[in-house]
Amino acid sequence: MLTIAGLHKTYDNGVHALKGVDFAVKKGEFLVIIGLSGSGKSTLLRCINHLHDPSQGEVNFNGTNITHLKGSSLRRVRSQIGMIFQHFNLIPRKSVLTNVLTGSLSRVGIIPSIFGLYPQTEKDKALNYIKIVGLEGKELSRADNLSGGQQQRVAIARALMQNPQILLADEPVASLDPATSHSVMQYLKKVNEELGVTVICNLHFLSLVRQYAGRVIALKDGKIIYQGCPTEINEEWFQTIYGEDAVEVTIN
Amino acid sequence: MENIDHSIDLRKNLKNKKNLEKKESFNMKNAKKQITALLIDIFLWAYTFLVLYKIVYQKLILALRYPEFSWQQPLYALAAGVLMTILLFGVQNMSLGKAANGLYPDDPDRSWVSRPYAFFLYFLIALTFFAGLFISQVSLREFFSEQGMAGARRIFTALLTPNWGLLQEGLFAAIETIYMAFIATVIALPVAFIMSFFAARNLMIHGRLFFAIYNLTRFYLNMTRSIEPLIWAIIFSVWVGIGPFAGMLALCLHSVASLAKLYSEQIENINDGPVEAMTATGAHPIQVIWFGVVPQILLPFLSFTIYRWDINVRMATVIGLVGGGGIGTMLMQYQGLGKWNEVGLLVIIIAFIVWVMDYTSAKLREFMK
Repeated sequence: MLTIAGLHKTYDNGVHALKGVDFAVKKGEFLVIIGLSGSGKSTLLRCINHLHDPSQGEVNFNGTNITHLKGSSLRRVRSQIGMIFQHFNLIPRKSVLTNVLTGSLSRVGIIPSIFGLYPQTEKDKALNYIKIVGLEGKELSRADNLSGGQQQRVAIARALMQNPQILLADEPVASLDPATSHSVMQYLKKVNEELGVTVICNLHFLSLVRQYAGRVIALKDGKIIYQGCPTEINEEWFQTIYGEDAVEVTIN
Repeated sequence: MENIDHSIDLRKNLKNKKNLEKKESFNMKNAKKQITALLIDIFLWAYTFLVLYKIVYQKLILALRYPEFSWQQPLYALAAGVLMTILLFGVQNMSLGKAANGLYPDDPDRSWVSRPYAFFLYFLIALTFFAGLFISQVSLREFFSEQGMAGARRIFTALLTPNWGLLQEGLFAAIETIYMAFIATVIALPVAFIMSFFAARNLMIHGRLFFAIYNLTRFYLNMTRSIEPLIWAIIFSVWVGIGPFAGMLALCLHSVASLAKLYSEQIENINDGPVEAMTATGAHPIQVIWFGVVPQILLPFLSFTIYRWDINVRMATVIGLVGGGGIGTMLMQYQGLGKWNEVGLLVIIIAFIVWVMDYTSAKLREFMK
């Protein structure tokens, strides 16, 4: 459903973050992207939904080339691709419900959304997703008063409000403690398996990768150096991906 | 395997190339710093010579009351500055300009008195202080003179025995001032709010048109802000006539500029995360700003606005002095007539208003944190 061909990204400051990335994602996959910090993982995800514009190459989504879309057609594509972030990026001082409802902004008109007049169907849907991520009873709490793991679950619910076909997760557990990390990863897995949403996720910890990934892509210096099954990453591959001095750390 | 080797070679090449580029740009930067340092040195030495000649030599040593001035003097000072800079620029730890540009190696363990350029800096500060004393004609003799003391006594007695008969009139004028400041703030608020988005760098760098609007807004704001409200009040009192309306317009114009500046700085300091998240949901740019930006800036904006009202009330009294209406104009009239008892009452009213506004706005802003 998503194919990426010859993708390059050069930032304005001259950093060449992606140097010709090709891969395809099938519907319902749980794809994990690994690699060192600075290897281009975040850039890759942001090129998919055009938070950054690719410099060269193509992004095809459901058979249409979305690389050069602009304006409302770009927003329509973005609305079908949910995204969660390392630092959650919730709206401060707003309730969980309001935060989750912002996932429906592309469907609700500008004027009603500014006055907070969401249709009842959207509200019901938001409440349902809040329940799915296990935050029932917290609907009216301020989102920035929740714990890190809870905030990330709010972000998942917000992304689900978009009815996404793909969920991009940019290091979703990098600022969480180990126990919470597993809980968030399990919710992502649940979204993938029960709601059939394709997940593309950046991760740091190989132990999490082995446990949750369906398929793995490893990036190094903006290029794909490994593609395949997570269980096949042996010592040798590990050192190629992370460098010779790297030692594997596990989290339980 | 061969492929991988090749790619490693390639990467090495790239790295070398990058290092070279880095070196070049580093040299460019270095040259720029050296030139800035040179200019700073020339300026500082020229300044030193000029002040030494005008103040220390002419005023102190020759004790001239009206020393003659010719444009050759600063030119000679500049030439002396260039000479001094040429002599000392190459000497280690002698150039203040180099130190200011970070061209001397940083050594945190060295004491603050161990460098010659530091002494030059202290000397400059001391010199400027003495020059300032002379130029502002500070004189203790005048301050404590017989005649001066008598005048001070007369005015303070009058001020301390205010004419309470003027209370009603004074209060009405004060009310005029407060409302004038309030209207100026309220009218300035929406204009500044909208302009602040156009003046926020982080929202406007995408696209050439937006950037042009950004520069234009900034230019307008800097221009109106750099002209004091006092001067705007003079302009408007000619335009719409003396009275509170002129004062209100002056305050309003200045408030727009300074509020928009404060607001836009707040917008520039927001966390980009929510903006990114809202963009990723496929929201319209207006929605992105409303949900990603506005919740982050609302409280600081309110706090700035209340503070501005407080400032405007204080400024309104001053603006009244040049015909902006309200209590300031009244003060000006009685001062012109030399009726110090009436002036005393007006000063009491102004002090009271300022105190109340200061207290209320501080409390309100504290409450909103």
